[in-house]
Amino acid sequence: MYCKKCKDLGTLTIRKEHLYCVKCFMISVNHKFRACIGKNKILSSNQKVLVCLTGGQSSTVLLDLIYNGLLQDNHKKLRIIPFFLHLTGFGEKETDHKVAELVINQCKSYKFNVYIVNISKFYFQKSNTLPDINSLAETNTEQDLKTNLKNILKKVNPTSSNDIETKIKHDTFRRVAKECQCNFIFTAETTTTLAVNLLSNLAIGRGSQVEYDIGFSDSRDEIKILRPMKDITVEELHHYIQIKNLTHISIDKIQDNNLQSVIKQFVWDLQENFPATVSTVCKTADKIGSIDKSDKRCQFCKSAVVPNNEKLTAIEATNFSRTVSNFHLGQYLNEETRPKELTNEHDGSMFPFINEYFCYCCSKNYLESGNQNNNLFKDMLPV
Amino acid sequence: MPIPCRTGCGKNAMLKRPKTGDALCKECFFWAFETEIHFTITKAELFKRGDSVAVAASGGKDSTVLAHVLKTLNERYDYGLNLMLLSIDEGITGYRDDSLETVKRNRDDYEMSLKILSYKDLYGWTMDEIVAQIGRKNNCTFCGVFRRQALDRGAAMLGVKCIATGHNADDIAETVLMNVLRGDIARLKRCTAISTGSEGTIPRVKPLKYTYEKEIVMYAHYKKLVYFSTECVFAPNAYRGHARALLKDMEKIRPTCIMDIIYSGETMAVKEEVTLPTQRICTRCKFVSSQEVCKACVLLEGLNKGLPKLGIGKSSKAKRMLDEYNTKQEQNLKDAIKQLDNDVEKIENNCQSNQKCRSNLCKNKRNGLLNKKSCNNKCSGNCDRTKVIVDNTKVDNLLAKYAIHEPVKKINTDGNNIVNVDEDFDTSDNEDVNIDQEDDTCSASCGKMGSLIGF
Repeated sequence: MYCKKCKDLGTLTIRKEHLYCVKCFMISVNHKFRACIGKNKILSSNQKVLVCLTGGQSSTVLLDLIYNGLLQDNHKKLRIIPFFLHLTGFGEKETDHKVAELVINQCKSYKFNVYIVNISKFYFQKSNTLPDINSLAETNTEQDLKTNLKNILKKVNPTSSNDIETKIKHDTFRRVAKECQCNFIFTAETTTTLAVNLLSNLAIGRGSQVEYDIGFSDSRDEIKILRPMKDITVEELHHYIQIKNLTHISIDKIQDNNLQSVIKQFVWDLQENFPATVSTVCKTADKIGSIDKSDKRCQFCKSAVVPNNEKLTAIEATNFSRTVSNFHLGQYLNEETRPKELTNEHDGSMFPFINEYFCYCCSKNYLESGNQNNNLFKDMLPV
Repeated sequence: MPIPCRTGCGKNAMLKRPKTGDALCKECFFWAFETEIHFTITKAELFKRGDSVAVAASGGKDSTVLAHVLKTLNERYDYGLNLMLLSIDEGITGYRDDSLETVKRNRDDYEMSLKILSYKDLYGWTMDEIVAQIGRKNNCTFCGVFRRQALDRGAAMLGVKCIATGHNADDIAETVLMNVLRGDIARLKRCTAISTGSEGTIPRVKPLKYTYEKEIVMYAHYKKLVYFSTECVFAPNAYRGHARALLKDMEKIRPTCIMDIIYSGETMAVKEEVTLPTQRICTRCKFVSSQEVCKACVLLEGLNKGLPKLGIGKSSKAKRMLDEYNTKQEQNLKDAIKQLDNDVEKIENNCQSNQKCRSNLCKNKRNGLLNKKSCNNKCSGNCDRTKVIVDNTKVDNLLAKYAIHEPVKKINTDGNNIVNVDEDFDTSDNEDVNIDQEDDTCSASCGKMGSLIGF
């Protein structure tokens, strides 16, 4: 019944077997956060960092960890110049407001300033003026309604919609970071979230992008997204929040007809019964790269697209499947009479603009969002 | 309201294809299904004209459809392949015995030759016996590892150029997920390859790699193919089940996710700085392995030594188990030697030799194994020599059997594998008897096992 570090009385059980006292536990969480930043050697001292907050558990803990880091004395001080950002415009107006107010209050308690930015303004309306700090300025123009993210994504199936939302969010982070002259962004994904993201990435065909979407650093752009909480688990978050008695708000979108939520449920069950699996999954992610990289980028998610080659992949197989399901029997029996495979959107290809303008998954998203949804992809394609 | 067939043939559709969402009628579906497999085979250049190909046949839907389609395409497109069936009899009562009957029917229906190899012949154990040892958990490890090698052995016997397996798209997607969950980066790298096999091994190809399980079932059903559809009686406890359950849940929401996962697997690569195990040849059985001694040999060793868990889990655990086993064996050996020494003493007491022999060297070397030599040298011929020699060969035998680090000397050479393997097992079986007799800690299961294989 003793803490495994200091042999005092232990009160917390982590992963059902490791007993900690409160003091050692807090040290270990802090250490995980700092070690993650330290050992990756990407951040040099006194860099400007945009910290993205959501008001959720992990974001609340991240805020507290940063505050504590800045308070340390010379030797252990966290040497960053933080800027704080909270994005709105994802859900209903009332909840959006509630969350934004909470984030403002959270930041106030640490004497930090936060920008509350509406995602539609920055992403769809291409505005690049930052709002006043700590203020929630919402207008209700007709254009706002038209570019409301929720309305735009309503027509897309939930799995693609989740994926598109994430990509748009990251893009907006980068736009804001640019305005604040930050070269780095902190997001608060935990091990558990990243395990879910890894499996989701696989399930939607983003396997080759795992390195950037799950690893510590997303370096697809000059402005890098870093994930300093990547070694901390959800279980540890719960304890941290309880011990420090931090207020947070969780807006769980209740959707069960998408891959991400199925995977999330699966990972949470795993966490319960096989606690080691979650970290195994993330460690696997650290070892995955992608096959031959090209300079060509997907216009939507900025990932390198796979250069065209002769090898048979799932793309050809699926396209052939589409082709073969659209013509009369016997038409393909010899090579000469076989029509060209379908490649662009007008003739029913499964992957419009693939490897030309879009990566595999973005091409699928484009197809599924249909033509009504020009708002999402309009600037990326040739006229 | 009936949906018309997407190809415009005028008939009503009877299924919606999960891969593309297109609805097709029966005839168009058959044609599309076969043509897709043809496309996969030609595009990925799986076979060469004139090749002999072994179809790994289990009697299940995948391999039955594979055999049927390969035969059809071989005739339709004139691949010029010599197709034959290769089956492995794991010895699972209520499962494999019945499914082999189906394979035999396939043999007659498709006019292909059939070769059946059994675990019992190859390894000396049936799966039933193995499960009696290991229990319901982890038994798939044995079955999978043994089957992999058994197929290689069978293919070598048949002299084929490659083995075609019935792995479908669902299986591959499932394997990708499973390898991520297990953190098995080496397998993750290989598992989406359509053709696997390094130099010196017989390649395996997966013509059904892009074919959905659902469509395979449909095809078999509408074509009225005879197949065996019972799930393996031991399978429900397999780890794979987790990955399978997840995949099935995902497929319900988005059927294309199976292809998406395969695409993910195809475009992923292991980072350069990650060291991977290299493929080499097992020092014992000379088949492919990533370790010095292949998994099949380790598992078998475990079974034969009464340590069925030996090959399960981390290799460090296996080492520890072997060490424990070795110390135990040493103890046994010492006991045995003591016993022998007592015997020798008795002999010596009976021996009419002078006092010098007994009191000096023979006694000194008692703990060693050199009784014979010393006696020979020092006892001036009066000692009952023959008896001593007999006893000493027994010691030598014991030593040879118990020393596990020594590589097995009887290494199988290709061609007469089975005979040699059997010999190996004979000696090890005897060893097991010894363990049973001498080791009181051995639980009842061991004895039960012994009776099962008829010691």
